[in-house]
Amino acid sequence: MPDQTLPADLYPAIEPYESGMFPVGDGHELYYELCGNPKGKPVVFLHGGPGSGSQPEHRRFFDPKRYRILVFDQRGCGRSKPIASIENNTTQHLIRDIEALREKLGVKRWVVFGGSWGSTLGLAYAMAHPEACTALVLRGIWLCRKADLQWWLYSVRSIFTEYWDDFANYLPPDQRGDILENYFKLLVHPDPAVHMPAAANWKTYESRIASLIPKAGAEKSQSPRTLAMSRIEAHYMRNAVFLPENALIEAVPRFRHVPGVIVHGRYDVICPAENAIALSRAWPEAQLTMVPDAGHSAMEPGIRSALVAASDRFAELD
Amino acid sequence: MPDTSPSRDLYPAIEPHETGTLPVGDGHTLYYEVSGNPKGKPALFLHGGPGSGTQPLQRRFFDPKRYRIVLFDQRGAGQSTPPGSLEANTTQHLVADIEALRRHLGIARWVVLGGSWGSTLALAYAGAHPEACTALVVRGIWLGRKRDIDWWIYGLNRIYPDYWEEFAGHLHPWERDDIVEGYARRLLDPDPKVHMPAAIAWRAFDQRVSTLLPQPSDPAPPGPRTLAVSRIENHYVRNLAFLGEGELLRGVGRFRQVPGVIIHGRYDMIAPIDGAFALARAWPEAELVLVEGESHSTSDPGIRQAMLEAADRFADLA
Repeated sequence: MPDQTLPADLYPAIEPYESGMFPVGDGHELYYELCGNPKGKPVVFLHGGPGSGSQPEHRRFFDPKRYRILVFDQRGCGRSKPIASIENNTTQHLIRDIEALREKLGVKRWVVFGGSWGSTLGLAYAMAHPEACTALVLRGIWLCRKADLQWWLYSVRSIFTEYWDDFANYLPPDQRGDILENYFKLLVHPDPAVHMPAAANWKTYESRIASLIPKAGAEKSQSPRTLAMSRIEAHYMRNAVFLPENALIEAVPRFRHVPGVIVHGRYDVICPAENAIALSRAWPEAQLTMVPDAGHSAMEPGIRSALVAASDRFAELD
Repeated sequence: MPDTSPSRDLYPAIEPHETGTLPVGDGHTLYYEVSGNPKGKPALFLHGGPGSGTQPLQRRFFDPKRYRIVLFDQRGAGQSTPPGSLEANTTQHLVADIEALRRHLGIARWVVLGGSWGSTLALAYAGAHPEACTALVVRGIWLGRKRDIDWWIYGLNRIYPDYWEEFAGHLHPWERDDIVEGYARRLLDPDPKVHMPAAIAWRAFDQRVSTLLPQPSDPAPPGPRTLAVSRIENHYVRNLAFLGEGELLRGVGRFRQVPGVIIHGRYDMIAPIDGAFALARAWPEAELVLVEGESHSTSDPGIRQAMLEAADRFADLA
C-alpha cells in the first residue's frame, strides 16, 4: 500500500516499447515514442518551448500500468527533422500533427497533458478538437497575449535583474528596444558563429528564471537542440503564436465540458500567475491549483506532485 | 532555503531602559525608546510603511551588550501623536525629526538600519546627513520611483491577480485607472464606515504581497493602527514619496564613503529587486546581499541572518 500521506511524485523511469519517425508533410518528420501499457488509457504529452523537445522525464508523470503514453517532439525540435526548421512550423501545423498522430495510433480520445508552451498548445488543440480530449492537465499556463510577451522580454528585469541584463546586453544598446526582432535576426543568421551563441544566450536566460531557486549550471551549451529551442521560440513569439490576442480564453466555451486541471506556481516568472487565474476565471469548471512555493518548472516539487495527482485522477476516467 | 548553514535567530527579547516623547513641531510628538547598553554604540532602527510604527521585535537585530538601540515611531505612526496625521508629514520632515532625535539623545553618529520604507528613509537621511551615519544597513530597497509605485499598485496584478482584484475591487470600476486617488478619497473620508474598510483593504494587499507564502493570520485587523498606516502610505505614494525621480540614487554621491550593506530577497514582490541592483550600481562600495528564494519579509531566515550579521559587523566599527 502506498503511503497516502506522502505527496505524489514521478513514476519510475521507463523506456518506450515503441518509437519511430512519423512524416507529417512539408518535409517534417516527427520523433514519437510510446510507453507504459499498450492497452492503457491514451495520454499525449505536449512539451514546452515551443522547440524544447521531449525528455525521458516526461514519461514519468503517468502511471505506466494504466496509461498508454505518447511523447513526441514537435516540428523542428528534439529528434524531429529537420532540426531547428521554422518552415511550415505554426500552431496550426502542430495541431494537425497531433491529430495525425492520434489517427495513426488509432486513438479515439486522449488525456492531453502539457506545460508552459505545452499548455498553450493543449488549449489550442482543445479549441480545435474538443471531441478528442478526455481531460486536460495544464501547467504553467502561457496565454501568449501581448502582455505576456512584454513580460517575458522586458518585465522579468524587475525580478531577475542580472539575468535579464545578460540577456538584453547581448544586443548592442540601440537594439534593446526590440529584443525579439533583433534576437530573431541573429537566430536565423546562416553563420553558426552568429546564431549559436545567440541561441545559447537566449536559452540560458530562460533556464535561469524557470525555477524558484535558480539552478546552478543552467547555462546552455551551443548545440543543435539549443538552437532549435531558441529559434523556434523566437519564431512563435514574433508571430504571437499564430493566434489572435486572447483567442485561447475566448475559446473556452468550446471545451469547457472537458474535465480540466490547471497547475501553476505562484512565483512563475516566465508565465506569471495571472495567466492561470485569467484562464480559471474563464473556465471555473476546471480545478485550479496555485502552488505557493513554486516557479515555472514542471519539476518544482509542489508542481510535480499536483501534476501526478491529476494524471492519476484521470486514469480512471472514461 | 538560502544555504545549508543554520540560520541565526534574533537576539533575546529586551525591554527599553528609556522611553520618551519628543515634540518636533507642527503639532507632532514622537514616541521613542532606547534599549540595550546605555554606553553602547548608537544604532537607529527606521520602520517601514511609511506609517507602520515600530515593533519590540525590531530591537532584536542588535546585540544589546554592544549597542545603544534607538527605535522611534515616525510622524503619525505607532505611539506618536496625533495618530495617522498627514499634516506636515513628508520625507523631509522625517529626516529633520531623525536629526532632532539624535541631538536630543546626545548622539554624534549612529548606525542606521532600515527595511522597506525604512530603507528609503535611511537613504534620504544619509543623503542629507552623511556625517551622522557610522554605517547603513538597508533591506528590501524601495526607491520610491514612479516605476516602483506603478509596480506596487498595478504591476503586482501579474503575480497576485487574486489579491489585486480584492484591492482594486474595493473601488468602483471607473476609479481603477487611479487607484491611489480612489483610495485617498475613502481613507480621508471622515466617516469610519468609509475610511476603515478602505484602510483594511489597502493594508491587506500590502501585507499579502510582502511574504513569500500566504500568512494565516488576518493581515489587517480593523483599528487605528491599520487606519494610520494605510493613510500615511497612501499619502506618501500619492506624493511620490516627496522625492524627485531618481533623487535617492543621485544622493549616493554624498554618502558613498559610509560603510553599507544592501540586503534584498529575490522574491521581494512589493519592492522588486531591481531597486537593489540600481542602488548597488550607484553605490558599488556597498555590499549587496541577494537572498535567493526569500521575500520582503524580515521573518525570512536568510534576510534575518543577513541583517544580524551586518549589525554585528558594524558594532565594532569606530
